This record gives sequence, structure tokens and C-alpha cells, in this order.
Amino acid sequence: MNFFKTYKKQIFILLAVLLVLCSFITAGLKQQTGLVGSAVGFVVTPLQKLSSTVTGYVGGQIASLSEERDLEAENEELKAQVALLEAENKRLSLYEEENKRLSDLLDMAQKYPAYESIGALVIAKDPGNWFDTFLIDAGRNKGVLPDMVVMESEGIIGRITETGPNYSQVQSILDSRSSVSAMSLRTGDLGVVRGDYTLMNQGLCRMEYIDAESEIMTGDEIVTSGLSDVYPPGLTIGYVQEVVTDANGLTKYAIIAPAVDFKHISSVLVLAEELGESQSDLDTSAQQTEESQPSAAALDGEGGTAP
Amino acid sequence: MRRVITLAVVLFLNLILQSTVLQHIAIIGVVPNTALIIILSMALLRGSTEGAAVGLFAGLLQDFFFGSSIGYYAFLGMATGYIAGKFNKGFYRENYLMPMLLTFLATFCYESSIFLTSVLFRGHLNYLYFLSHIILPEMVYNTVCTIVIYRILFSVNSATEEKEKFKRRLFSIK
Repeated sequence: MNFFKTYKKQIFILLAVLLVLCSFITAGLKQQTGLVGSAVGFVVTPLQKLSSTVTGYVGGQIASLSEERDLEAENEELKAQVALLEAENKRLSLYEEENKRLSDLLDMAQKYPAYESIGALVIAKDPGNWFDTFLIDAGRNKGVLPDMVVMESEGIIGRITETGPNYSQVQSILDSRSSVSAMSLRTGDLGVVRGDYTLMNQGLCRMEYIDAESEIMTGDEIVTSGLSDVYPPGLTIGYVQEVVTDANGLTKYAIIAPAVDFKHISSVLVLAEELGESQSDLDTSAQQTEESQPSAAALDGEGGTAP
Repeated sequence: MRRVITLAVVLFLNLILQSTVLQHIAIIGVVPNTALIIILSMALLRGSTEGAAVGLFAGLLQDFFFGSSIGYYAFLGMATGYIAGKFNKGFYRENYLMPMLLTFLATFCYESSIFLTSVLFRGHLNYLYFLSHIILPEMVYNTVCTIVIYRILFSVNSATEEKEKFKRRLFSIK
């Protein structure tokens, strides 16, 4: 104890230097939680789960009290919508059949492979105000690996950045460190959807590097382009809210309203292995993405749709 | 030992609450940083060494779960606790003004350091935007929360100090 008292300052300086070094070394490498983190996670995550379940329940009760009046009207509306969608769905499934038949004829690999998904609950959010990451209650025990895509039924949420034994960390697409290669479904224009500090709290993000001559406009659906290693093609990201031309006049950026309501995520799906012949599928999809880049760029001017 | 366990429980409880319940009381998207308030309060109540230790462990916990590297928040927390502990001498513990003032200023420094080290280098140069939208609201929010948290930690600290005094007396008799 005496030793500590005499060299208190030196010890703290040494510790500080070690911590800084450690943070530099582990930056970007922290994909699998180490032993200590795992042990801590083992204790903390069940409690976090409990706590967020309880707060979610209480919040839901409070919300339901105030919303009860609107429910009846909403119910009617939804019923009408369900009928409409059912009809639409039938029509679309006919298209799918037809598509399958035609693709078989063309002997093309499936463009949108089916994925096996792992369900998980959101148990905690980043306590700070700078970043948008959260924890889910599925980890290595359920087969979650870093760089898997996390989504809700409406669209993508983000990707797994780190996995622990019974939890994983998800970086949402609103986080300023996230970037997703994206494409406008209507025009085929490519771009990159980035998180932005100034838009994060409003639940919006930016699509950057859009060609100035592209005809992208408000309301266009933005999907993942498949140029990235992480995100498979064709997953909905969101809808264009506003298109702005950059100061240099050469490129545009668009404000994107994600399809997912980021304020109220409680359960998510983690996309795992592709179903079926994964290896050959991967190869062909890789070839496809290579091919789709020039073709999508060529389509830009014509304003055609993506193949 | 009792002190270490008490502090560990406080820090774990804070991590759990801060990442779950507190998210629901965000005002204009800003959540109070209760971990920072705990570090500052303990540093004020107990001095540099304990402040730095509390900061180190609170930071490490945050690093494990939410950091992109190990050591970043731990370093920030330790530095904050160490410096704040220098104000330990020469103020009345029962007075709330000092912890509130310290929280106000320390939040500014803490969040500005985060801006400098991990936001600025990503090409976001408009400090004024972040000052007005994240840092200033958090300074105010933290300062208000200090009243409650300092009060709780003050009682916890007095209780442990009371126990420790009693223990020491026992030993001196024997």
C-alpha cells in the first residue's frame, strides 16, 4: 500500500498510457468478445433483458392507455388494408410463379436467395449520445457471427459488429460509422447510405455519391445494391425524403427515411446462412454483382429499372 | 472490501439502467450520462484515487458492451475521475452546488473529448452543431440528474464510511 502511495502519479500515468495503447490496438479488431467481457456479459445481459422487457411492458401499457380510442378506427382501416393486400399478394405470387418459370427457362441462379434467420430481442442501447448501437440477446450460442445482417420485416436495421457468448452488438445504419451500398429500385442509381450525426436523432440517414444526372426523386424506394460483402442485394433500406444537389454540382445526396422505425425496435431478425446450395450460390451472386455494376451504370441515363 | 462490492454493484446497476430504462427518458434525443455523474460524485466524495478507479471500471464496462475498442471509455473515465478528485478537498459535501457545477463543466470536457477523438476525424468539422445539439443539452440534463444521483451516492458513501469506522475501532481495541 505504501508503494502505491509513493508512486501514485506514476502508476496512473502508466495505466493511462496502457489504456490508450490498448484502445488503439483493439480498434477494429474487437469482433469477438474476450474472456472478461464474456464473463461480464453473462451476468449483465439477462438483467438488461429483464429490465428492458419490464420497461417495454410498462411503456406499452402507458401507450396502449392513450391509444385505446384510436384502436377501433385503426382496426377497421387495417382490415380494409389486409383485404387489399391479400388481393395484391395473390396477384404477386402469380408473378413469382411466372418469374420462377421464366428464370428456370433462362437457367439463372436465384437473385434473391432465401436466408435462414435467427430471431432476437433488443436488450440494451448505447448509453452515449454519439453513436447508435444496441445489444440483442442472441450471440455465438445461436450461431450469430460478426457482419451478419440485422433486419426487421420492413427493412434492414444494420449489421453485427461484435458477438459475445449470449449477446451481440448491432451497429444500426443510422450510426455515422455505418455505410451501406445502395440502389434506387426505380431508377437503378447507385449510392452509399451513410449514418449522419445531424440526422441520427430524427431517425434519418443520407444516401451519398448519387450521380448528378440521376432521376432519383422523393418517394423512391432504396434497396441494398449487392455491391457490398456484407449486405445481400434487394433488401429494403428506406424511402427518399429529399434530394439535394451537393455544393460542387457534380453529385447529389438524398435524405433517406428508413423503412424501419428506429425509435421502436424491440425484436429483430439476424440473417444467417443462405438456404440451399450456399457455395455455388455465393459464386454466382458474386459474378452477378460484378456484372450488375456496369449494367446499372449504363441504365442510369435511360432511367430504366434494375434487371 | 465492502466498499469495492458496493461500488461494483452501483456500477453494474448503472450500466443496466443506463442502457435500458434511461433510453426512455431522452429529451430531444439526448440521454443523461449517469456513468459520468457517478464517476464525478465518487471522485468528489473520495478523492483522486477512488475517482480514477471508479472511472476506470465504469469505462471498461462501457467498452465491453458498446465500445469499438477496449480502453477508450476506460481512459476517459479514469482521467475524468482523477482530475475531478482534485476538487475533493475544501468543499462541504452536503452542498449540492459544487457537484452540479463540476458535472456541468466536466460533461463539457468529456463530451468535447469524445468529439475531438472520434467524431472530428470522421470529417465532421461543425463543432457548433454538436455543441448545441448534443453537448449543451447533455450538460444541462446531467446537471439536473446530479442532484438525485449525488444524493444517493452521498448516502451510500456515508453508510460505508460509518461501517468502516466501526470496523477500525474494533481492530484498534483488540
